[in-house]
Amino acid sequence: MAEALFQIAEPGQSRVKAPCTPGYSRAVGIDLGTTNSLVAMVQHGKPVCLADDAGGTLLPSVVHYAADGDVLVGAVARDRFAPVFPADTIASVKRFMGRGPRDAEATRKLTPHIFAPGGEGDGVVRFAVAGGRAVTPLEVSAEILAVLKARAEAALGAPLEGAVITVPAYFDDGQRQATRDAGRLAGLEVLRLLNEPTAAALAYGLDKGAEGTFAVFDLGGGTFDVSILKLEAGVFEVKATGGDSALGGDDFDRAIAGALLARLGLPPDAGGDRQLTRRILDAARALKERLTDAPEASLELVVDEGRRETLRLSRAEMEALVRPVLERCAPSVRRALRDAGVEASALAGVILVGGATRMPLVRRFVRELFGREPLADIDPDEVVALGAAVQADLLAGEGARADVLLLDVVPLSLGLETMGGVVEKLIHRNTTVPCGATQTFTTYADRQTGFDLHVLQGEREMVGECRSLARFKLSGIPPMPAGLARLEVTFMVDADGILRALAREQTTGLEASIEVKPSYGLAEGEVERMLLESFEHADEDVKMRLLAEQRVEAQRILAALDAAVADTPALLTDDDRRAISAARAALESAAARADAQAIRAAIEDLDRASKPFAERRMNRALDAGLRGKDVTAVEARVAETEPKADLRTRVDAHAGHKHR
Amino acid sequence: MICWSCEKEAGGDPLCGSCGAPQPLDPAAGSDHFAVLSVERRHELDLSALEARYKDLSRKLHPDRFARADPRARRASLQRTVQLNEAWRALKDPVKRAEYLLELEGVKLATDDGGVRSGGVAASPALLMEILELREELGEARLAKDDARVARMGDVMRARAAQAMARVTEGLAGARTRERLEAVARELVALRYYRRFLDEVAAHDEARERERSAHG
Repeated sequence: MAEALFQIAEPGQSRVKAPCTPGYSRAVGIDLGTTNSLVAMVQHGKPVCLADDAGGTLLPSVVHYAADGDVLVGAVARDRFAPVFPADTIASVKRFMGRGPRDAEATRKLTPHIFAPGGEGDGVVRFAVAGGRAVTPLEVSAEILAVLKARAEAALGAPLEGAVITVPAYFDDGQRQATRDAGRLAGLEVLRLLNEPTAAALAYGLDKGAEGTFAVFDLGGGTFDVSILKLEAGVFEVKATGGDSALGGDDFDRAIAGALLARLGLPPDAGGDRQLTRRILDAARALKERLTDAPEASLELVVDEGRRETLRLSRAEMEALVRPVLERCAPSVRRALRDAGVEASALAGVILVGGATRMPLVRRFVRELFGREPLADIDPDEVVALGAAVQADLLAGEGARADVLLLDVVPLSLGLETMGGVVEKLIHRNTTVPCGATQTFTTYADRQTGFDLHVLQGEREMVGECRSLARFKLSGIPPMPAGLARLEVTFMVDADGILRALAREQTTGLEASIEVKPSYGLAEGEVERMLLESFEHADEDVKMRLLAEQRVEAQRILAALDAAVADTPALLTDDDRRAISAARAALESAAARADAQAIRAAIEDLDRASKPFAERRMNRALDAGLRGKDVTAVEARVAETEPKADLRTRVDAHAGHKHR
Repeated sequence: MICWSCEKEAGGDPLCGSCGAPQPLDPAAGSDHFAVLSVERRHELDLSALEARYKDLSRKLHPDRFARADPRARRASLQRTVQLNEAWRALKDPVKRAEYLLELEGVKLATDDGGVRSGGVAASPALLMEILELREELGEARLAKDDARVARMGDVMRARAAQAMARVTEGLAGARTRERLEAVARELVALRYYRRFLDEVAAHDEARERERSAHG
């Protein structure tokens, strides 16, 4: 990690290169997704998604915070901890990036998370998690990035030299700043933020040798983007982009979950029961995914300890629930085509990106919207990471592709507040980046000695309807009659799509310039503090990681066991009780010591001691579950159920994975 | 200019003639969009040749080419690319191109919103009155959700804008006398109002689409 510190302190300086796998790029592409994240690397001239030990390339974007301070990321967090500790296990964190606590899009939808009360002027969402901690979306994202970084460094056999992280094209300035800082916090040198549809077009265009004007329809877990690009002689030029950074597969799940709750006679917020909220959202997603291939699907939901319900849904019912949400994509698509000056019929193709585009309904919708069959011959989950890897390789300067160039645009107009709350736009949407603009303003009142500058982003005319990015002051101007001062404001958007604003008063020769600081809600200096803290913890080696994992696992097993005992005390014999209680105490004391091996052994002992009890519970559950199920479904469940685990946990975890 | 990187004569191009490092902009030199793209100062341009030129320069100057280079190289590349993008944006659009040509000839158009009011060729009161009435009418049609009428008004205005544009091209093609340039300036001022009118037509279409998808 000392290497990472060096990279941040001295970007672009030459240094002695550590030996690494020959033919591999030292910079990677990362798709930091709402549902899943991936890392890809150019190996021998071709981008490849990197797999974990189990062979999967998708890292679920789920982070669990345990009471003792340990952090777990990925499938284990999603499948084992989210059902039991829904509030301490953050999912879909991308939806919260760069958003404030009063942002309805972020915090007022059906969610199992607890939001920490913000202080005065606190502009960032914070999750209250176990151990009395409050974590920001930026920190949660950094945990995901750190796992991907470790995966890439293991493949490379050397420290990374940089990464390209993808963001939805429609992310605003605050969301971009937050993403870039999450990368820094994870110890990555962020070479570039790349728009997801552009990344997809890059991977697709290079792979297929495509030329012409294409539309990219990117519907992910939490965001929707549409981009119109012209591909010609290695130049990928974005003509226009549009979208909705709060519209995705999650919203389909919520629409389905809402209907399921109503059907069960439960209130729309699940009565504030966070575990049930997590289970019903997972059930909705599982049903939705099964309905991609099947016309009907059903699964069992544990409503509470005394109530299990079989939920059935047909594809037609599901589509009726999802369609109104999906329709929200249409205006963005039409506007992007209009902005690009292209008719849908003139497109060379429509490229599908994002997991949600697997749904037959979405494909039909795209076909209707564009009047043509979309292209789906590339994996919509991997294509963004693959494109980002190509761009990383280009930026790292080791690839031989000097012919390839990306020209991207500003997604949303940038402007300043003027008198009467009207926004004066300095940079219009779909302007190619990097770009700059300068405009002169003057004073409104006599003897006005300062300017309050308010930077906004959005398409609407009025301040209240745009996203507020930053406020800054320029003072010390000598008193003059109104209209005499000349304030020159310059906006500069870099290749990442991030804005800097400068103001300068000209008439008096008084020069004052101010740079807009990251303004997505974190107080100045807070990111630096987080960075310093992360370096303090940077010594944490593999052993510490293992210990952390075993401790969390122990905590989970104990919680699951207690829940099982409370649920079915009658199934416990006196022998069980004695054996379990001894093994339980042994595990508790092992968990308090810093020896991962000992904890592992104690977990296995407890597992053996509780086996007869777990088997009795499973038999009982199977008896109950057999009603209304065919035999293969039951067999599948038996095969997946581990004796040591609490059954309720397993069944619900099952609803949340196994797809794709 | 001496190159900051190799300390030899850099030549006048954006990239050093000796070592290829991007050279910072000379703040005293000012910028001419036509010069940035190395094309003749005229209104009638071969757009596809201009686009090819723009992309060729982008390939050489873009910050992506210097992502891990010396900070001075990155800064120069950023400045040069901002300038290049601005030049391309100004010249690819025929209205902006015409406005820019007038500016180079010293004919100013009055600015009419947002920033500081300045002198220059302004719209005639008759035109302002007419546009005001047309926009009122458009406002009524929008309020009544009379899509057909809004579309009709849009078509009429588009035709009018096309005619004005043709006169601009013609006016800039011949000898650039003061009189001819001022006539072009008046057409351009009018075009601004036509375009804003058409923006409102587009805003109407968008708002109606939003409504339809919210109800559908």
